[in-house]
Amino acid sequence: MISGMGRRTSRKAWIQLLVVLTLAAPLACAGAEPSWSLDQLMIELGRVQHAKARFVERKYLKLLTQPLELTGTLEYRAPDHLERRTLTPKPESFVVDGDVLTLENARGQRRTLALQDNAVLWAFVESIRSTLKGDLGALRRFYDVSLEGGEKSWQLSLNPKQPRMSAIISMILIGGTDGKIGTIEIREAKGDRSVMTVHEEGA
Amino acid sequence: MTGRTRVVLWIVFLAACAAVASQAHFTTDLSAFLPRSPTPSQRILVDQLRAGVVSQVILIGVQGAPQDKLAQVSNALVERLAQAPEFAYASNGAQERMEADGKFLLRNRYLLSPGVTAERFTASGLRTALQDDLDLLASSMGTLVSGLLPRDPTGEFLRLLETFQLAGGPERREGVWFSGDGTRAVLIAQTRAKGFDIDAQEHALQRLRELFGDVSKEHGAPAAQLIAVGPGVFAVGTRAAIKKDVSRISALAVVLVSCLLLIVYRSPRVLLLTLLPVVTGAIAGIAAVSLAFGSVHGITLGFGATLLGEGVDYAIYLFTSAASKGVSDPAVGRLWRTLRLGVLTSVCGFGVMLLSDFSGLAQLGLFSIVGLVIAFAVTRLVLPQLVPAGYRAQPLIMLGPSLLKLVEAAPRLRYPLIVLVLLCAGWLVSRGGNLWDDRLENLSPVAEADKQWYARLQSDLGAPDARYLVVAAESTQQGALDAAEQIGQALETLQSSGAVAGFESPARILPSDRAQRRRQAALPDTGVLQRNLAEAARGLPFRVEQFQPFLDDTASAKVAPLLRGADLDGTGLKVRLDSLLAERQEGWLAMLSLRGVRDADAVAAALHRLDRSSIHLLDLKREADDLYRGYRHQALIFALIGVAAIAALLLVSLHSPRRTWDVLAPLVASLLVTTAALTIGGRQLSMFHLVGMLLVVGVGSNYTLFFERQSFAGGDPQRTVTALAVCNVSTAIGFGMLALARAPVLSAIGTTVALGAFLSLAFSAILAGRLHR
Repeated sequence: MISGMGRRTSRKAWIQLLVVLTLAAPLACAGAEPSWSLDQLMIELGRVQHAKARFVERKYLKLLTQPLELTGTLEYRAPDHLERRTLTPKPESFVVDGDVLTLENARGQRRTLALQDNAVLWAFVESIRSTLKGDLGALRRFYDVSLEGGEKSWQLSLNPKQPRMSAIISMILIGGTDGKIGTIEIREAKGDRSVMTVHEEGA
Repeated sequence: MTGRTRVVLWIVFLAACAAVASQAHFTTDLSAFLPRSPTPSQRILVDQLRAGVVSQVILIGVQGAPQDKLAQVSNALVERLAQAPEFAYASNGAQERMEADGKFLLRNRYLLSPGVTAERFTASGLRTALQDDLDLLASSMGTLVSGLLPRDPTGEFLRLLETFQLAGGPERREGVWFSGDGTRAVLIAQTRAKGFDIDAQEHALQRLRELFGDVSKEHGAPAAQLIAVGPGVFAVGTRAAIKKDVSRISALAVVLVSCLLLIVYRSPRVLLLTLLPVVTGAIAGIAAVSLAFGSVHGITLGFGATLLGEGVDYAIYLFTSAASKGVSDPAVGRLWRTLRLGVLTSVCGFGVMLLSDFSGLAQLGLFSIVGLVIAFAVTRLVLPQLVPAGYRAQPLIMLGPSLLKLVEAAPRLRYPLIVLVLLCAGWLVSRGGNLWDDRLENLSPVAEADKQWYARLQSDLGAPDARYLVVAAESTQQGALDAAEQIGQALETLQSSGAVAGFESPARILPSDRAQRRRQAALPDTGVLQRNLAEAARGLPFRVEQFQPFLDDTASAKVAPLLRGADLDGTGLKVRLDSLLAERQEGWLAMLSLRGVRDADAVAAALHRLDRSSIHLLDLKREADDLYRGYRHQALIFALIGVAAIAALLLVSLHSPRRTWDVLAPLVASLLVTTAALTIGGRQLSMFHLVGMLLVVGVGSNYTLFFERQSFAGGDPQRTVTALAVCNVSTAIGFGMLALARAPVLSAIGTTVALGAFLSLAFSAILAGRLHR
């Protein structure tokens, strides 16, 4: 009955961090068009019911002399299904459905987690899912949100509100065109960062 | 000896007994009613259950409020518990409370990890590690690893985390442990006091309830409920239940027997005089148990009710007969002889209990024997001095004739009775082995609801089922840890072959000094390690200079003082260690609990190959049930011995096999019918029922004997039959009250004897036709 305490700490940290790694980001243009507002962006984004895209992610790590490159697919289905499948260098999947996150690695090991149980993980998932959904209220629950650029080239800056989250991630930048996301950049508190570029299929 | 001297001696005796009894130490430790374990490993086990860490753990559930409130209450409660002097440890799974464990593992990874070998730190070993690291960085685990790698490129910390990760585990909501359905926050606490220190446990439980009351009000959840379960909590509850049961049962028995006597004899004097021998007997019984066992069990006091039921008989017979006229009357002489024989058969029955390996049963036996003998002696020697010569109690007039009519009519039921007995015998044979409940846990007086809560909270907390345990008893702590490491190696082999899913070992949390030194020796000097690392990283995209923390940590680990148990203080791992490694009188004990055992024979064979006599594999459930079956077998043999002794006693005293049979036949019939009645509806019998059956023979024989001996030829048959009926009913009341007790030992014996004794007399009347006509 006393079992399983030590590792729990880190399993949690592990997952928070792993998730952070998972999606990435930006390239953004600024170029203020004052008529373009957050509300308008959210309406645009909210129109998309289903999107599937290929991604290329580059991780810039202090520990390595060159960036690591990952490729795979991203898929969103309104209102709350989000799925990321890494194809290279190692197959992995990361699927969120409602409140449930399922992780599966190349060896077929599967882990299921409830987002509610983990505030940091939840915040991270919502940075992308709520953006895709166009749900500003949900985004603001976790982040201070600001918008730059115009309709054809916008960039959302998400600054974590919760100290536990900001201890890991200092900022998430999401860039795109109209109702489509083009890049996701995640800047970690300790200096590493990852940039994911998204190309919608059949677009 | 004059009558006056007898009275004076009696008063002196009573005073002496009262003095001893008043000094008696009362216990409610229920292990007295569990078998003493015959093998060393089982004794270890019972000791651990009684005094080990397991006995100090309280599982806590909080429910009845919204989730966020429950989480707040959980956090506040764990905070207060951590400060309360009664508690050594408390956790609700909140991350901050787990940090100590993680820090301990990270800081001491080079002493703790089995992965630390000389090969791992050579150039080729490190190259393998770095290549693995590169794969990890590209996975979704990458971010975590990238933070850790500069300190730990060989992944010792991650390996430790994996090791301490077990299947299942509590769910978390709002950052704290919750039940799977989210309706209940769960916590775990450990008291400072040992589980058997019931006063201290009660105190700790009280404190827990107070703290909970405070925090639930402070956090605006006054309706939230606290559920607290655990061995210590159960012991506290059991003690309270026994106390309450014993006083309730005794009071009820006194009231009912008194009412019976008052109604039948309508004389307060008869009532008082009737109770005198019983009270003397009870006090003498307590004094005797106190002297012989050093303490008196609460349950023994509960048994006082039965003494009351049986002990009043002697005085009733005395007042019914002309006994107080003096011994010269031949009828009186016969009465005393019959009563003496009755006392002796009862003593035979209770005497066998003295041989029992259950010290609790032996206490009950001694208490009853002393109580009955003294009650009889007081009736015989003292009571006649206290009543006027020729005094006779007058029972209700109408009772005698109607009872006599019943007795005369009873023989008509002989053939139906024979059919009934045959049916019962057939029923019992058809039930066969299914008749007995051989599960030890069913002897526990813990309420079913509490047991269910315990199981529920255990599963909420993801506790492994501790059915299989490997135990190593050694004279020193290091010896025990060495043995645990040896067992661990054997178990790892079994784990890879799938015979077991996993195990917990104390040596994983606190490795033996030998293992720690071996790991220190495996770490190369910093200069060597630096060269090896540079060589390993050649051609890989790592910045080697980033690994300085790794070089620093290995250098300090190499000369660090060896880990001691005290280094774990304040962590959850410490509680875990204490539950796996314990000091006891003869030395140290390491316990490895196994999970998912699929091939117990393979485990036993592997342990056998270790060839260490100090190592045992325990299948707790089977051991306990085997143990219990063994004790039931013993109880059966003792019961048969008891019955044989009673039969022999009757044969010798009655000088006639036929008359002996006449006394025994109703008893046999009563036993069969009683046993069948107890098992109706698929109910099963415990060994305490078996003890009850022995007592049916011992106690019931008083009535069949009296019925046979005091044949209604001479004297006043109406009066005799009334006395017999009153005596029988008072006995049935005494034992019947025990049926209300929550302790299975009392309720099983009480039900069996109450029914059996009553049926013995009824069947005597039914079968008597053949005898007296």
